[in-house]
Amino acid sequence: MNIAWIIVLPLLGVIAPLLANPTRRNQVAWITAVLPFAALLITLYHAPAILAGEVVQQTWYWIPQIGLTLSFRMDGLALLFTLLILGIGLLIILYARYYLSSKDPMGRFYSYLILFMAAMLGIVNSGNLLQMWAFWELTSISSFLLIGFWSSTGKARKGARMALTITGAGGLALLAGILLIGKVVGSLELEAVLNSGRLLVEHQWYPVILALVLIGAFTKSAQFPFHFWLPHAMSAPTPVSAYLHSATMVKAGIFLLARMFPVLSGHDAWFVTVSLVGLATLLLGAYTALFKHDLKGLLAYSTISHLGLITLLLGMGTELAAVAALFHIVNHAVFKASLFMGVGIIDHETGTRDMRQINGLFKYMPHTAVLCIVAALSMAGVPLLNGFLSKEMFFAETLEQSAIGALSWLIPLLATIAGALSVAYSLRFIHDVFFNGEPKGLKKTPHEPPRYMRIPVEVLVALCILVGIFPALLVGDLLKSAGVAVLGGTLPYIPLYIWHGFNLPLLMSALALAGGIGIYARRKVLFQFQSHFKEVDANERFDAWLYQVITFIRRIEALIDKRSLQYYLAWLSVALLILLAAPLLNLSLVGDNVVITPLTAEVWAGTALIAIAALATVVNNRRRLFAALLISIVGLGVSLAFARFSAPDLALTQISVEVITTILLLLALFFLPQTTPKESKPGRLLRDIGLAGIFGGIMATLTYAMLTRPIETISDYFLANSKTGGGGTNVVNVILVDFRGFDTFGEITVLGIAALGIYKLTAGMRLFLPATNEDGLPWSRDKYPLILKQVSQSILPLALLISAYIFLRGHNLPGGGFIAGLITAIAIVQQYIGHGNDWIQKRFYANYVGFIAAGLSIALLTGLGSWLWQKPFLTSWFDYFTWPVFGKFELASAMLFDLGVYLTVVGAAMLILAKLGQLTVVEPYSEKED
Amino acid sequence: MLDSIVYVTMGFIGVAMVGTFWRLIKGPTIVDRVIAMDKLFVYSIGLILCLGMAEHTSLYYEAALLIATLGFISTTAMCKYLLRGDIIE
Amino acid sequence: MEIAIAFCIGLLSACGLFLILRGRTYPVVLGLTLLTYAVNLFLFASGQLVKGQPPILGSGSSYTDPLPQALVLTAIVIGFAMTAFVVILAIRARADLGNDHVDGKSKPKDITKEVEQ
Repeated sequence: MNIAWIIVLPLLGVIAPLLANPTRRNQVAWITAVLPFAALLITLYHAPAILAGEVVQQTWYWIPQIGLTLSFRMDGLALLFTLLILGIGLLIILYARYYLSSKDPMGRFYSYLILFMAAMLGIVNSGNLLQMWAFWELTSISSFLLIGFWSSTGKARKGARMALTITGAGGLALLAGILLIGKVVGSLELEAVLNSGRLLVEHQWYPVILALVLIGAFTKSAQFPFHFWLPHAMSAPTPVSAYLHSATMVKAGIFLLARMFPVLSGHDAWFVTVSLVGLATLLLGAYTALFKHDLKGLLAYSTISHLGLITLLLGMGTELAAVAALFHIVNHAVFKASLFMGVGIIDHETGTRDMRQINGLFKYMPHTAVLCIVAALSMAGVPLLNGFLSKEMFFAETLEQSAIGALSWLIPLLATIAGALSVAYSLRFIHDVFFNGEPKGLKKTPHEPPRYMRIPVEVLVALCILVGIFPALLVGDLLKSAGVAVLGGTLPYIPLYIWHGFNLPLLMSALALAGGIGIYARRKVLFQFQSHFKEVDANERFDAWLYQVITFIRRIEALIDKRSLQYYLAWLSVALLILLAAPLLNLSLVGDNVVITPLTAEVWAGTALIAIAALATVVNNRRRLFAALLISIVGLGVSLAFARFSAPDLALTQISVEVITTILLLLALFFLPQTTPKESKPGRLLRDIGLAGIFGGIMATLTYAMLTRPIETISDYFLANSKTGGGGTNVVNVILVDFRGFDTFGEITVLGIAALGIYKLTAGMRLFLPATNEDGLPWSRDKYPLILKQVSQSILPLALLISAYIFLRGHNLPGGGFIAGLITAIAIVQQYIGHGNDWIQKRFYANYVGFIAAGLSIALLTGLGSWLWQKPFLTSWFDYFTWPVFGKFELASAMLFDLGVYLTVVGAAMLILAKLGQLTVVEPYSEKED
Repeated sequence: MLDSIVYVTMGFIGVAMVGTFWRLIKGPTIVDRVIAMDKLFVYSIGLILCLGMAEHTSLYYEAALLIATLGFISTTAMCKYLLRGDIIE
Repeated sequence: MEIAIAFCIGLLSACGLFLILRGRTYPVVLGLTLLTYAVNLFLFASGQLVKGQPPILGSGSSYTDPLPQALVLTAIVIGFAMTAFVVILAIRARADLGNDHVDGKSKPKDITKEVEQ
């Protein structure tokens, strides 16, 4: 079974909950759980091999030249995280079924949740750093959606925005770091990066890379000084807090640290930064948690503190510390998720989370109370529970530290203090909530929650106990394989026992327990001390900071953005000129060995024609009709140039487009004001003439330099294979419909989109219709002059015949779908001109959007057709047949493709022109000039 | 013989084009200009045909054919615009 | 001959840019069209300019480079679609804003006129 399914199945699962009947909530939950469960089964299927040390990989190449691949890779570390994400995720799905009230849109909630799950699985299983980053950002987005799920409350919206800003900004830093890593290593594939050894550490960019990656990791994992978003993210529904903001998403940053451990650690900068940040976070979180009256606030700061502990462990750099970090990731996820779910139950049953109100719940909900107490003891690090084991390893490792030289003795001391604080807040959680008298001022009498709401908590608490008693049996292998992934090969002996004898770490644990009890007993003094400090609202500060940033940016914007297209364009052209001119400075005007062809009379005349017409267009640009006329002369000159220089196809296309453009300009003229006011000041004119002159000079130089250099063409292949491979002698057409058919398909799609965009733009347009022409004379009353009518009508069959002829011969002689399409469109437009809309609509119902759709479908199906013969998309086929009357003729799939081109062009051109023409059918407004 | 005749013809057409172009620029009325434009299209037909004869190829004749059928259409559109303003009613 | 083509392309680009920098939508549309011609000719010229060797197999002994021609052919059609889009945008802007200035605002001169009315 392909490991990509582990990500793809949950990704598909995003729509599953939306398909279920929203009123049947059990059904919604079941349907949501199916695909993640299947993913879990696939993971378990692969687990034995990975535990044995294998790395399962699956790679699809997209643009390998620039490092873009779709690649999935699962090793021990990824397996550990995958099991956490899927295992806890499934429990959360069950829990959320009972947590959400019937008013909440459950399908949407599950949909976001599964989106997050898929994104998280994507992070841990990505084999390509860029791909990992994409999933990383997806977790930020899904977290935003989930925090803001109750979007009607301002707190939820603010919390969501803050989390997105912080983690999103960190994500950008991470992207920069990843790109630098890719630059240094030469590949973005994780395998290559992990095998690069000390390359990154010894590179001169190492400090920058480290800083960027760490900012990414620290923002995501709520490390000091970015920790403040996490408590505000607690306005999310509790299942989300349990899942994203304690068990999984905030571990993504730590996952990143672990993933990059083999290549980025091994330098003092890593040890100092990571361990000090971790230590600061550990202490700050533990201390603040003690004073939080809100249950979720307490858990949030406790989470921050534990994340700091894991970061500290990773920063220590010893091998055993890294393993301890992995172990604590699992333990923390298990006990913290169960605590959050317990708090969710309490919140649900009492209607509040304030510990000053909630007291003595043991009496009312003994079962839940026992579960919460066990989990909280695990958080405190009490023996026989899983939290104890990793904390013991942590204490042992702090004793090994020498990162900060002679001051290293501080680390174990501070660690013990943090441990004591963590015991104290755990104790507060247990004592305040479940004992300590009677509840005060609750709106309802609490009782046990529904049976199934407790099951996820029970499962996790059972794990706390089981792992606490049989660690080696349950997680030994998992830790070993994850450890190998993080440390790269060598793995120390992991002491997974409960009892290590009487040693220093045990003493530290005992001190922490005793100290914690002491702190809690004397809490009144501490609370009083703390009340001297004004509580800082991170939200207000964040808003103030954000406001400053925005004001600053607005000021810069006001400096450079004048809200004027002319202004933008002038600066754009200046930039363009500099970019174009710079390389020309180092270029000789005339290349070598090229014979300059003499200027012949007809080329001279043609140049003069184009030049004079173009200049006249500029000079007369305010006389609008004349300018339209002149520009079509320029077009005529250009098509003559195409004809002269061996491009019959281009000449045909240019002429047809010329006619259509003229019609378009005339339509535009009617709806736009009749005159252009003279408003450019002389200075402006001079500036623009200067810019234009320089631009023209550069373009001319560029062209001349290009023309006088020998070219190397790749077209020999096309010339050689056009007849044999594409079945046509008109190489240009064969390139269009065969060799580069995929490009053409893209181009006609663009054409169709442009036409549809125009169609939408014309909807509901209020037009100004001029009552007189530009000389102030009234319009003629004869709408359809007889000669015009007759000529238009008689030209239709002729033009259609020419169009068919040009289309059919296109493969072998100048012509083809593009040109034929334009001719047909012109022939039909002529009918509109000669007879008007009503006349046409009575005789010919044309759905031009349908034309575009049909054309694109034909082109697409022709392309897909080659799949039937196991050939790549758009592989062409042709053969020669003999029919009695017609003789020998050729059939080619490319002709069918060309038909698609033809229909799209007709549809697009007609949609544009007919739509414009029809605008006046509505009751015209009287002239109202501005 | 034929070749030189073709070149001479091209020369004549060229002169005619210069004259017409002058009329196009000079005007004086817009109708003069539209007619001049139409004539320029007609002359290009001749020019392209001569080009084909000079190079002994028929590949360019379709270009002439297209100018003949379509060039006329932009002239009618111009006329319609001059008469009614709205060319598709 | 190279010099003539270079001159043509340079002049068309210059005229195009000048018109694009104007303040009303119609000259901008004209400028875009001129610039399209310049770019198409430039692309076309990148295949070298050869007389009398169209890339139709069997029509002669040697052929000019067909690839730029294929590129330019689609560029012409797409260029038309783009011009059309700009034209509609211009018409729409006029319809919604009441004037055809590219910045969507009329000049102070016009405002005073309105006040007088």
